[in-house]
Amino acid sequence: MADKKRKERAGGGGSRTNKKLEKNSNSKGLTKNNKNKTDMRKKRTGPHLPSALRTELDRLNNRISSNSDDEIDSDVGNDVYEYEEEVPQEESRKNRRFDPVENYEYELPEDFEDEDVSSDDDVDNDNFDDGGNKGTQNEDVDGSDGVEEEDDERHLRMLQGITGMSSDAFERKKKKNNVVISEAHPESEYNPTRDVLEGDGHITVQDLLGPIQGKPGYSKLRKRVQHMDRKSTSIQAPLPKADREKLERMAVYEHSKKDITKWEHLVKRNREAPTIFFGEDVDLGFSTVGAIASEFEPRSEFEKKIATLVYDEKVMEAHKADGSKLLELNKISAEDYMKHRAHIAKMRSLLFHHEMKRKRIKKIKSKTYHRLKNKDKAKAASVEMLMDPEAAKEQARKQEFKRAEERMTLKHKNKSKWARRILERGLNTQDEGTRAAMAEQLNHHALLTRKINTVKGSSSSSSSDSSSDEDEEGSDQDRASELLERAKEKTLKVLEDDEEMSNSGVLSLPFMVRGMKKRREVAIDEAKLALQEYEQLEGTDGAVNSKSATASGRRVFGMTKNEDPESNNKTKTDNNNNKMKMDNYYGNSDSEDDLEAKENLNIEGGRKNDVDSNSVKEAADVHQDSVFKNFDDIVRDPGSKSTYEVAIFASDSWRKMKSGNGVDTNVKKSQDVKEPIVHDQDLEEGEEESDSDSEGQMMDGVLSSGPKESYKLPSQSELIRHAFAGDDVEEEFEKDKQEILNEENPEPDKPVLLPGWGQWTHVQQKEGLPSWMLKAHDDAKRKREEILKKRKDAHLKHVIISEKLDKKAEKLQTKTLPYPFTSKELFEQSMRMPIGSESNPETAIRALNRPEVVKKPGVIIKPIKFEEVHGHEKSEDHKRSGQKRKTNRIKGAVGKNKKQ
Amino acid sequence: MKVKVISRSTDEFTRERSQDLQRVFRNFDPSLRTQEKAVEYVRALNAAKLDKIFARPFIGAMDGHRDSIKCMAKNPNYLKAIFSGSDDGDIRLWDLASRRTVCRFPGQQGAVQGLTVSTDGSVLVSCGSDCTVRLWNVPDANLADLDSLSDNSAKPLAVYVWKNAFRAVDHQWDGELFATAGAQVDIWNHNRSQPVNTFDWGTDTTISVRFNPGEPNVLATSANDRSITLYDLRMSSPARKVIMRTKTNSIAWNPMEPMNFTAANEDCNCYSYDARKLDEAKCVHKDHVSAVMDIDFSPTGREFVTGSYDRTVRIFQYIGGHSQEVYHTKRMQRVFCVKYSCDGSYVISGSDDTNLRLWKAKASEQLGVVLPREKKKQEYLEAVKNRYKHLPEVKRIVRHRHLPKPIYKAANLRRTMIEAERRKEQRRKAHSAPGSIVTESIRKRRIIKEVE
Repeated sequence: MADKKRKERAGGGGSRTNKKLEKNSNSKGLTKNNKNKTDMRKKRTGPHLPSALRTELDRLNNRISSNSDDEIDSDVGNDVYEYEEEVPQEESRKNRRFDPVENYEYELPEDFEDEDVSSDDDVDNDNFDDGGNKGTQNEDVDGSDGVEEEDDERHLRMLQGITGMSSDAFERKKKKNNVVISEAHPESEYNPTRDVLEGDGHITVQDLLGPIQGKPGYSKLRKRVQHMDRKSTSIQAPLPKADREKLERMAVYEHSKKDITKWEHLVKRNREAPTIFFGEDVDLGFSTVGAIASEFEPRSEFEKKIATLVYDEKVMEAHKADGSKLLELNKISAEDYMKHRAHIAKMRSLLFHHEMKRKRIKKIKSKTYHRLKNKDKAKAASVEMLMDPEAAKEQARKQEFKRAEERMTLKHKNKSKWARRILERGLNTQDEGTRAAMAEQLNHHALLTRKINTVKGSSSSSSSDSSSDEDEEGSDQDRASELLERAKEKTLKVLEDDEEMSNSGVLSLPFMVRGMKKRREVAIDEAKLALQEYEQLEGTDGAVNSKSATASGRRVFGMTKNEDPESNNKTKTDNNNNKMKMDNYYGNSDSEDDLEAKENLNIEGGRKNDVDSNSVKEAADVHQDSVFKNFDDIVRDPGSKSTYEVAIFASDSWRKMKSGNGVDTNVKKSQDVKEPIVHDQDLEEGEEESDSDSEGQMMDGVLSSGPKESYKLPSQSELIRHAFAGDDVEEEFEKDKQEILNEENPEPDKPVLLPGWGQWTHVQQKEGLPSWMLKAHDDAKRKREEILKKRKDAHLKHVIISEKLDKKAEKLQTKTLPYPFTSKELFEQSMRMPIGSESNPETAIRALNRPEVVKKPGVIIKPIKFEEVHGHEKSEDHKRSGQKRKTNRIKGAVGKNKKQ
Repeated sequence: MKVKVISRSTDEFTRERSQDLQRVFRNFDPSLRTQEKAVEYVRALNAAKLDKIFARPFIGAMDGHRDSIKCMAKNPNYLKAIFSGSDDGDIRLWDLASRRTVCRFPGQQGAVQGLTVSTDGSVLVSCGSDCTVRLWNVPDANLADLDSLSDNSAKPLAVYVWKNAFRAVDHQWDGELFATAGAQVDIWNHNRSQPVNTFDWGTDTTISVRFNPGEPNVLATSANDRSITLYDLRMSSPARKVIMRTKTNSIAWNPMEPMNFTAANEDCNCYSYDARKLDEAKCVHKDHVSAVMDIDFSPTGREFVTGSYDRTVRIFQYIGGHSQEVYHTKRMQRVFCVKYSCDGSYVISGSDDTNLRLWKAKASEQLGVVLPREKKKQEYLEAVKNRYKHLPEVKRIVRHRHLPKPIYKAANLRRTMIEAERRKEQRRKAHSAPGSIVTESIRKRRIIKEVE
């Protein structure tokens, strides 16, 4: 609206010039000028025309000014406001602005339009503006002259050609300018409008300049005036204050908006950053005790005194000197230090390992181990005895003491209360452990009592022959018997070793076993012969040996197996075999320790001869398992043997061969000798046999159940039908489904008639259940059915879809997607990986757990400061860790320029 | 026999000092720790519960005023100081650490309506209903500490008498100017007894004024005609006005986002605006049940605190629709002014019951020195809690707050009313021609118009 008006006004100015060209040219310009003067204060704002039009108008105006030099205009074209002295209202035409209308005889133009009049304000403005012209259209009168018409038309065409605007615009202007105003008032100097209208008697700048022509500075002034004329434009009246302020505010707001937008990238960066840091550049002061202490200044007198003492020069010097000396003393080369440290470390580790070892050993509870250990110790002691005469003496003294003690107390001769009680009850009724213990005791006793001689003998023989005759005799006898015993022992050991060898890895192969057996047989034969010889020798020896033999014989209390009365040596071999058997039974024949243990045993056995072997044999017997017994039985029983062989035959051929060998050996050897060997083989074969037996039975079963050759495989469906002949799966499934349905949507309880509840009993009897109860029941039923119908598996006959809510799982799920996430996957991904220190390296944790805002307590946070962010820097920023970014920000803050 | 051993270099495992922690090497293969997620969930749950247990936000009250506290100002340069002005013209400087009055500024007649401190913390400006603006010298912090025992009082640096009563005052950040609000908005210089500039747009009294700390030449005021007005001192002109349905009691600019400010409104809500787009609020912060009297942003720009006529103080996220904390005590009455401390970890409220109250900004935060490992642990728990905050159990615990009965009831009533309104509108919409009634979002609904 405002624009339009202005345009109009400007256009008016333009067309006015045309008028001027035609007739009273000068008067128009002056009129306008005067009008402007009077109404300047009212309205003058910068022209808001389209730029094209404005330039055009400027051009026109220039032309005018060149023609008529009468326009006094503002000196600066850009200036919007111009202060001019106010013309009194009574002088201006304001007070009678509506007057001229009455004097008109006018007619409305044919194409009259009222479009421009929209508000009172506008009318006023127009009136003010073109007061002289009486510029509103309804005041226009067209009845001036026909001559002008053609000129106007021509001019119009020209204007159109120049500006490219429609003819309407100019037409209106033209009309507007066809103004005839008659003054009601008489002409006066206070009423210049009259002059303006008539075009006479007005004063121009030229007129004013005339008199001063030739005066100094005239040319200058004239030039200025001309210049002004050339440049002058029509100045608009200012807008009302309200509008003006509004425009101003708009401009301010736009500017302010633009200015504030510069923060956008900073704000965006901060918002998008996973963490923002505050107060990172602030130094919080001392962080260590040392730093704080160094800043200490003595304040009180006491402190000062102390300080004077402490910081006394002499004291300081002394301290320095002393300190350096102390340090000198401490000087040590790095190599030395390293060596020393390595040594200490080594010692420490040795100590530690030793300690650990002792601890471990101390914890061992195994009796066997301890027994063996004690034996080891004894052996070591004996070795030491041999090596070191001093130690030997000491040992001998100890032994002597022990023996004396034994003789005095007879502690180990089954004289204790416990032993007596057991003997009273009968040894045979006791369990193996007790018997073994008893035997052990006796053994010990025998050892202690018998060894007197041997030790004495050995010592005496080594030292001198100056012992008594009887003693010598005894010792000689003893020595002879001992030699024999040793020889025997060795032969036995050879036997043993052979057998033991057979059990180890490669030698356990069948052909090796066979070879070994043959060799062993030969060896055994030889050994037997040797043994017999030893026996004979022993027999010649007589008393001691026989005594010992009797002793052994007496102590053979557990020998139930050896039914046949046999010779002594055979018993021994048997014993040895049994011993061996025991070893085999333990099944560690290939480990070194056991070998050693066996050797020990054998040695002992050899040394102790009968006594030991007896006890060991007992132990072996004790340890014999049912399996062995079974095989013993098998071997003994001919009938069972035959079945056994049959079984083997059924199982395998080469095995049978082997067993045949075994049988051969059985045949060859005496029963007792071969027995353990048989056992060894039988052990494997027994296992084998059981397997083969079962196989055979299976075979039998298949054979018996299997059809003849006419058998045809049944079809799959038949098989299935056969397999599930008994049960109806579908029905079961139905039942299951029903059960689940009932569980998830339980069936409503049937209404129960409680006598006397709700109604009198007789009424109840007559009418039955109350109707509401039935109704409620029906409702519940219907509801349930509806729910069942709604189920996903309602139409699926063979499917159960559980709709039970898992309450525990429900706790771990959200019902809706939480706000910042756009999809389920994103949400799930956000908590896919754990962030704790248990599952992340230390370096990653810090970034994972960093809070959104990192600030130090007690540090004042300043408002944001402006900084420029460059593209590449920004991208770097995102990559870098927070630490880097902080420094960057600080730098930016320092380098930033203050806002104006 | 082959013995497999883990080979480790001694350098990696030798500690430099005996205090160093032993290095622990872990296998982070997720397949080895399948239960880790469950473990973390339980940790989050426990952390949430512990947060509730340790939530003890109230630190202490500062008693001394004889009348209700109308306004407060924090010293931007000194953390421990807070100034408060009461209805009887008493201005006090408090030491937050000892919670005692350090200094008094007598002289103001009638209610002190506004207080502000210059950015360097040296000048305190007070204004009130006695039509005077007084400038005071703020006593040196250390000196005040030393002789805090004697209740010393200061004398005004200058007294400027003006034509009308003042309602609010605020100091420019890093500048010499301060603005007062009253019948019009006046811009003053420290050294001149008359305003250097005066803005007058509309006839109603301006009741609050706040400078933008990021853009020191931009300020916003709110007036009794329910308007919020923006000014730009560079062009020395008002810029834009937005008229809402209800009066705005106070305004706070976000110190980290200079284009955003939040207005505390009479209608129990706070409205966050972008100064460039005033036709619509960016966010509506609901939860109060009575008029919001004052608002102040945390210096981090991530939270703001509001004090309300409903006797509660609430802390909101800068982009959260609902409050994350609500503070109340039995004795706290209508809250007229709130401030966030300059380090963003405390909140101070001044209320009708003549007391200032000091609160923790995070209710369950541990005060005092936190050791690094402790801090790490807390950070971890916070992160875990944050991660599982959407799951119903954790959410319930984190969101749960005890409220005084009247507030609880009022909140329920409000909810009912809003719901009824919504239903009514819905029905109206359903029964009228389609498109004839358009539902406006709450962000727009409370805005009447934007005046240019």
